[in-house]
Order: sequence, then C-alpha cells, then structure tokens
Amino acid sequence: VARRILIAEDEPSISELLQFLLQREGYETRAVSDGRAVLDAIREHASEILVLDVMLPSYTGYEVLKTVRADVVLRHLPVLMLTARGQENDRRLAEELGVNAFITKPFANAEVIECVSRLARDGVQPDG
Amino acid sequence: MSIVDIPRWLQAERSGMAISVPIGFRIKERRRALGMTQAGMARDLNISASYLNLIEANKRPIGGRLLQQIARLLDLDLDALTGESERRLIADLAEAAGGPGFRQLGANPDKVPELVARFPAWAAALRALVRTTFMQAETIAALSDRLSRDPALSDALYGIITHATAIRSTVEILGGSAAVSPAARDRFEAMVGEEAARLAEAAQAIVRHFERASGQSRPGSPVEEVDDYLIANQNYFPVLEEAAGALRRELTKNGSATDAALADYLRIRHGMTISFQSPSHAALGPFRNQSHFDPHRRHLVFLDNAAPSTRRFEMARRAAALFGAEAVEAQVAHGSFIHEAAHERARHALSAYLAGACLFPYDGFYADAERCRYDIEQMRQRYAGSFEQIAHRLVTLRRPRAEGVPFGFLRADPAGFLTKRFPLAGLPIPRIGTGCPLWAVYEAFQSPDRIVRQVVEFPDRARFLFIARTVTKDPSRFHETPFLRAVMLVCDAIHADRTVYADGLDISSRQMSVPVGPGCRLCTRTGCLHRAEDAILAR
Repeated sequence: VARRILIAEDEPSISELLQFLLQREGYETRAVSDGRAVLDAIREHASEILVLDVMLPSYTGYEVLKTVRADVVLRHLPVLMLTARGQENDRRLAEELGVNAFITKPFANAEVIECVSRLARDGVQPDG
Repeated sequence: MSIVDIPRWLQAERSGMAISVPIGFRIKERRRALGMTQAGMARDLNISASYLNLIEANKRPIGGRLLQQIARLLDLDLDALTGESERRLIADLAEAAGGPGFRQLGANPDKVPELVARFPAWAAALRALVRTTFMQAETIAALSDRLSRDPALSDALYGIITHATAIRSTVEILGGSAAVSPAARDRFEAMVGEEAARLAEAAQAIVRHFERASGQSRPGSPVEEVDDYLIANQNYFPVLEEAAGALRRELTKNGSATDAALADYLRIRHGMTISFQSPSHAALGPFRNQSHFDPHRRHLVFLDNAAPSTRRFEMARRAAALFGAEAVEAQVAHGSFIHEAAHERARHALSAYLAGACLFPYDGFYADAERCRYDIEQMRQRYAGSFEQIAHRLVTLRRPRAEGVPFGFLRADPAGFLTKRFPLAGLPIPRIGTGCPLWAVYEAFQSPDRIVRQVVEFPDRARFLFIARTVTKDPSRFHETPFLRAVMLVCDAIHADRTVYADGLDISSRQMSVPVGPGCRLCTRTGCLHRAEDAILAR
C-alpha cells in the first residue's frame, strides 16, 4: 500500500489542511506550491501518489499531469486532481490526460481521504 | 409620394446623374425664411442684386470668401449650406438601411434621399437613434463577453471556492470525532477566522466588480446562440454523420463519390441544372463562395474561376441540404433557438457540416489525421479539399473514443473582421468585430500561402497553439481584386504536440508564448504596445 504523497497546491491553507488530514491517516506527505517543482519533488520524495491542484503557478496542473504521463518512470503514478473549476470541459481534459481521480472544491475531507486510500490500495499497475 | 415632389437635385442624384449641390436653392430658402430681400442681402454682401439672383438660381458657381460671408450672414454653418451634412446624413442612413435590422422591416435604402429631403429633422433623429443602438449593442456584447470570460471575475470566484474549501475542511476537522492536539486545534481555529475574513473580502470584490460593470444579463445574439449550441455539442453531430454516410452510399452506388456522381445525383434525383458563367457577364450580387443557387429554377451556377474543391463542396452542400433536410431540421429544432436568424445560421452551418462529413468520411479522415499528425497540407493532398474545408472538418472530429485534437476555427478578412467561427471551450473570441492584432490569423496576411504557427497566452493564463494560413480564390481576370481571407485553427497548448505544428516549438515555456488577448475592447492587459482602442469596461 502506497504511503508517500506529494501535494501540489499553491493555496497555503488548503495545502496545510491536506497535509494534516493525510498525515493523520498515516501517510507521509510533502508539499510544493509551484508546478515547476512537482517533478523534481516526486523523484526526491519517491512519492507514490500525487494530489494535484489545477491552478498552479509556472505550469498548470494539466501541464504537470501531461509531463508525468509522458515520463517513462512516472507514467503510472496515481494522480488525484483537485480543482475549483468543475466544468465538464475541465473534467474531460483531465480524463483525456489520464487522471485517476478528480474532485472539485469545496471538497469534504472524507471524500479526499477515501479517494487517496483507494488510489493507495489500487496503487501502481505497471505494464506487464 | 411621386418623384416630382422630390427636389430636382435629389432626383438627379437618384437617377445617377452628376450631382450638383443646390447651394443657390438653400441660400434662397434661408434668405426667405429670415425675411430678407434679395436686394438687401446683395447690399450686405457688397455684390449686385442680379449677381445674387444668378447665384440663387444656381447659374453661377460660388465658393471661397463669398460663400463664407453668405454662411455668416444667413447664420448657417458651411456644411449645411453646401449640402455636405445632408449628403453625409443620406450616406449614414443608407448604410443603416442596408443592415439586417432595417432590411427585415422592409426599409428601402433607395427611399433615404426622399426621407432626408422631406423630413430632415426626423432623418437626423433616426441617425442619432441608429448610432445609439449600435453603441449600446457593442457595449452589451462586450459586457456579455466580459462576464462570461472575465479573468478578474473568475479569479474572484475561484478565490471564494478556495476559502470556502478551507473553512469547510477546517470545521470538519474541529467538529470530527478524531483527536486533535491542542496546538493543532488553536491553529485551525485561527485558520477559520482568517479564511472567513478572506472569503468576505473576495465576495466584496465581486460586488464591487458588478457595480462597475453595472451587471447586465447576457442578451444572447443569434451568433451567440448558435455558438453555444455548437459548444454544447462539441461541434459533433452523430445524426448528421449518419446522414452523411447514407448520402455517400447513395452517391457511390455506381462507383466513387466523384464530382460527376454529385452532379448526376443533383440532376437526376432532384431535377437540378448546373451551369458555368463568366464573372464578367454574371450579376455577382447573389453569388456566395463563387456560386449561386436559384431555388425556384433549381439551378446552380458556378463562376468559371471557382476552384474544383469549391465546386465539389458546393454540390455536396446542395446534395446535403436536399438529402439530409430532415436530419438538419431535427438538429436545428433541437437547438431551441430564440432568434429566427439563429435558425437560419444553424441550418447553414449544419448543412455545411453534412457536406463536409459526406466528402471526408469520419473514420478514414480521423485515422489519416492522426497518422499524419494533423498536417493539413498532407490531408489536402489525400482528400483534394481546400485548406479551409480540411480545417473545418478537423474541428468536427469529436466522436467519443475516436476523438481528434479539439480544435476551434476562425476566419478573418483583411480588414480584421472575424467572418466565420467555430468556438472552442475556453477560447475567448469576441462576438463582434475584430480579434487581437497579435493573433496568427492576422500575421498570416503578411506571408500569404504559408502556415504561421504561434503559442499564445491569454490574460487568464490559458495557452493555445494557433495555426493560420491565408486562403485565396483566383481572380477571374486581371482587373479583379483577388479574394483573400485567413483561416486559423486553435487548440489548447496541452494538445499541441499531437500536431506537426508543435515540432521545434517550446510549448511548455511560458516565456516563449506570445501574450495576446481576446481583442482590445475586452482585453485586460495594460502596457500593450499593440492596443488600438481602450477596453470598453475600465478596470
């Protein structure tokens, strides 16, 4: 079961809350607030799940997701996207880019925890 | 009113004779209105009464200092005296009368000189109303654009959602059954207060914004209605794809869907005749896209210089309108449009859709597009279509599980006006007038027949790939001005590398993106050297 989670969220209070919630569930978390920093942080932290906000500085969540999916090593990383933009178009774009789960803000804590634990359980499924 | 009631100079103007400005008549009329005698006025002007008589009878030309003296004496401005203001009034009203609002009401532009001659004050009032209406329509359209795409407004709304998220999450933690340490509890209690204050601030910012923008509701023009309908359907209509397949089968009964098969279908099945005409001899008024269809005679005429791809598409459009009328009408009805003009616009767009779907069948076209990475030149060779036709069809490749790159489509004329559009969700395009002068669709005019590509960033940080090229129609003869337009495909930067047009571009670098806007009227950028007019709504 995956335990290490990277949170990419530029809003300090949301980032702090997510870290608190996930740490309380026993996950080990790290947080970044800039799209550019995500990939390096995943590698350094050996993150097993990425919780990704859409509206990030430098690179948007979509751009980060696309880069992750194009990376030979990281492409199976489970990604949960959090966004205040819940329009059908945004959801479709995220799905096209290969998101594993998509939650719109304002979220319920239980919803996030349940979703992360599902991703942690189903985990990484590399090609046979 | 018979023509004899109209002043002679206006009769001359209407009959196309040389225009002689009736200064003399005006002088005489005004002098009489002021109760002056001819002799008295001549004395004041220091000229002979017989000379003034000749002037008033329009038998002597007049200008320079004497004209200015007369204008002063009669308390008239020079434009009014020479008839220039009247001429401008006629031109302005004739232009308005040619517009759609007036045409529908049966206002005949030929009657404008008569109106101005008989009721000058009413004519001036009408022009003032037309101007006011036009300006109000522009402002309403801009407000509508601003409200639906305003980056400041969406930032504020996202801010509200973010703060609400923080408050909700914190309250859930504080009120939950799980243990929270005293230090964490203090921190979260403080956070609720901070986030509540920020939430209130964001809400106030929205209130201020609406006060500034005087919060109008969306008027919904016909263009907007059809755009919304196309966006809602993602520019993809399965019913029409099906009808196009059936039409294609009908056409290929005796072989392939060639031009001859199309022509035969129109002739034999629908009794249509097709002919060609030289542009030098044709009355060009009703021609569009180098062709004209007379529904009463069921006759389709092409100009001699219409390109093969144009002829083929127009024949397919006619075939589509006849064969697929039911499918198109059902689709139009599905749109529940409010404006009658929106019905017509949608009917036209959907018939063209059906024609494109018939000539470029979905499965093969989609597979080829993916294979050649949306290289439009390659697709043109493969399908013998024009750049515009191929670009147009690419926009419609949205079938679930066989989705092409989501493209938007624009066409501009050399004056800058956007003359055709297929919207893309998230792409801010002004509903009226011109776009941003920095867009590739305009840059394309500087290098005709070559593809111009560009990665752009809008003020709301949305980034797109623009692919533009001019399209021309050959002139029929030396003296004809060639028909030139520019067509542009647009896709979200995220999809750019699925196309050949991203090759060699650094798509991920924000620094390399061209900062553009939706057009000056709606653009919130400050300090842009290319700004041509102020934003309609000041920030």
